[in-house]
Amino acid sequence: MVTETSIIPAVTFLLPLVAGAPVLLWKRIDRRVQQGLPVLTAALVTAMGAWMAHKVLGGVILTTWSNELRVDGLSALMVVVIGTVALMASVYSIRYLRTEALIRRVGEAAAERRTRIFYGLVLWFVGTMLWGCVTNNVVMLYVAIEATTLTSGLLVAFYWDRRALEAGYKYLMLLTIGITFALFGCVLLYAAAAATKQLPGASPMLISEIRRVAPLIPGGTAAFAMAFLVIGFGTKAGIAPFHPWLPDAHAEAPTPISVLLSGVMIKMALYAMVRTVSIFYPAWPQVSTFLVALGIFTMVFGIVMAMSQDDLKRLLAYSSVSQMGYVLAGVGLGTYLGCYGGLYHLLNHALFKSLLFLSVGAVIYATGARRISELSGLRHRMPITSGCFLLGALAIAGFPPLNGFWSKLTIYLALAQAGLWWAAVLAVATSVLTMIVMVRAGIRVFWGKPRTAAVAESAVREVPAVMWLPMATLAALCLLLGVYPQVAYPLLDRAAAALATLGT
Amino acid sequence: MNPSLPANLIETLSLIMVITSVAAVEMRRLKLSAVAYLCQALLMVGLLVTFGSVNPALYWWAGTALVTKAILTPWALFRFLRGRDDREVKPVIGLGPSVVFAGVLMLGFYQLTHGRVTLLAPTEMAQLEVFRTNLAVASTVFALGLYAVLTRRDAFKTVIGLCLLENAVHLSLVSLAPELPETAVFGVATEVVVTVFLLLYVIDGVRQEFGTTDTFQLRELRR
Repeated sequence: MVTETSIIPAVTFLLPLVAGAPVLLWKRIDRRVQQGLPVLTAALVTAMGAWMAHKVLGGVILTTWSNELRVDGLSALMVVVIGTVALMASVYSIRYLRTEALIRRVGEAAAERRTRIFYGLVLWFVGTMLWGCVTNNVVMLYVAIEATTLTSGLLVAFYWDRRALEAGYKYLMLLTIGITFALFGCVLLYAAAAATKQLPGASPMLISEIRRVAPLIPGGTAAFAMAFLVIGFGTKAGIAPFHPWLPDAHAEAPTPISVLLSGVMIKMALYAMVRTVSIFYPAWPQVSTFLVALGIFTMVFGIVMAMSQDDLKRLLAYSSVSQMGYVLAGVGLGTYLGCYGGLYHLLNHALFKSLLFLSVGAVIYATGARRISELSGLRHRMPITSGCFLLGALAIAGFPPLNGFWSKLTIYLALAQAGLWWAAVLAVATSVLTMIVMVRAGIRVFWGKPRTAAVAESAVREVPAVMWLPMATLAALCLLLGVYPQVAYPLLDRAAAALATLGT
Repeated sequence: MNPSLPANLIETLSLIMVITSVAAVEMRRLKLSAVAYLCQALLMVGLLVTFGSVNPALYWWAGTALVTKAILTPWALFRFLRGRDDREVKPVIGLGPSVVFAGVLMLGFYQLTHGRVTLLAPTEMAQLEVFRTNLAVASTVFALGLYAVLTRRDAFKTVIGLCLLENAVHLSLVSLAPELPETAVFGVATEVVVTVFLLLYVIDGVRQEFGTTDTFQLRELRR
């Protein structure tokens, strides 16, 4: 790979941060500008992500500010995923937030003010996530990830009622405690790398440099650093048993924020975890077994919890915990095939979980209800939403030929290749449970006889095009990546190669 | 870094710092708890200035800590408490057992870290006595902060616990990463202040909606 200096990695994360400032600070900013800026910014970020991916595929690693920012295949993949999901969520927000329900819930004046703050913070939230994915500085990685918590904390508590405040408090408190462990881990990495004295002229704060000297780090320090990093970043990634904040935050936040949290934020935290912990794999291969076991525990725990949920958003949130287990089991293996499967599932989960949250948001928008027991028979009133939900449910369950099938299959094969048959069997069993949970929820909500008067009396209608278009786009992407999985191969190949440090 | 530091002064400041941690956790009046935190922040600045005599880069850290930890954070804490009943919601553990437990925690963590510092500190410098003490104090403050977060029902007290956690990590940097660039120190310190501001803002909302800052009353999402 050739290293090339470029300003684009910096522009990628600075653009949303700069765009968010006037939205937050200028009280009289026009509503259309508030709504348009996130859409335009996310579109530009996606385009820059695609450009960086193109460069990476050409054998180039992009760097900025003396290697402080560094974009390889993995970072480029993350930027594309964040940009795409942010674009869909931003378009969807245009109508989702303009509801009478919001005004009724918080009052007209507060609705105006909060909407402006919403769009400003969304831009900062996206910017900080992107920063975390392009930085090569281990301490700035912590700073960026904590910044994602700070920019999204008020978004989780957006509605400012009892439920939202409870979720917001837990979110801020638990994630900050968790990430403090990660800071300790990051500092230990830096200190240990510096102590090797094998980096003349290079900064021991750069992850790419720490990786070079990782085998020289004393065992005890490495073990402490890994433990702190797994607890810290794992908390943010929603890995069980550090996940308790996740169902509350994902369920109580406005749906576009649920999409950003579940679709990309938790993945960005997992990215940080594997980016830092994987450097120890060659010297400590047993760590990979621990991470696979943690991943399997997370996937089983998440789906078992999802089975008993009546609230659609909480069901999806617990399902996210479970799916993060798949990603961790894959990338935790450290082999090329494992990393490929894990990252493929990361990409796929970003698409179908965003699709599912947007579909549920559409149901909430149309009916005002989100409990499965209160909903039924929406299929005829909301044909596009019901179709999108069903497609997302089948994709997340790993139903062929949708995208989830291929990534899960790759993970099963990687686990089997590593001789971890018990893990492969549990992963398949979890997939079957996922199918039951998701399809059952879909059937109960969209099929059957209407239970409420509103549905029966045709008061419920399909959501506006500006809301179903992002859903349809995500559904089309799920289908595309299922029918033509080779579309994603080149970038995933580079990303997996950047991460894999064990075997083949 | 030249290790010729005033060891007695550092040990004295460190010891008082641990005592302020216990006070911040155990004080039942929230204002006194905030005062204990303020004292700890000032002691931390003092420690950084002392270490700065052999590593001038730490003067910058001391300045950052003074603004963020000794001025802005206490200001936010006192502003939150202004004009309100500052009695703490009864914690999970009573005062007597809690003081004993905190004492055991304090001694245990101090001894453990001081005795096995090589696990945490990979550098030769960090294994010198003054830096061993520094790391042992940092880990003790960290343990006490975590103890506060886990056993205190009052949301304000959990914020104090969080502040202790952050102070501990910041203090450990003196031994582990004294060459850390100013930008990184500034980033870490600034985020702590923003975190405290945001948390207190949300807790204020919780108090208005729930009529209490008792975290055990936050059960809306379990229904």
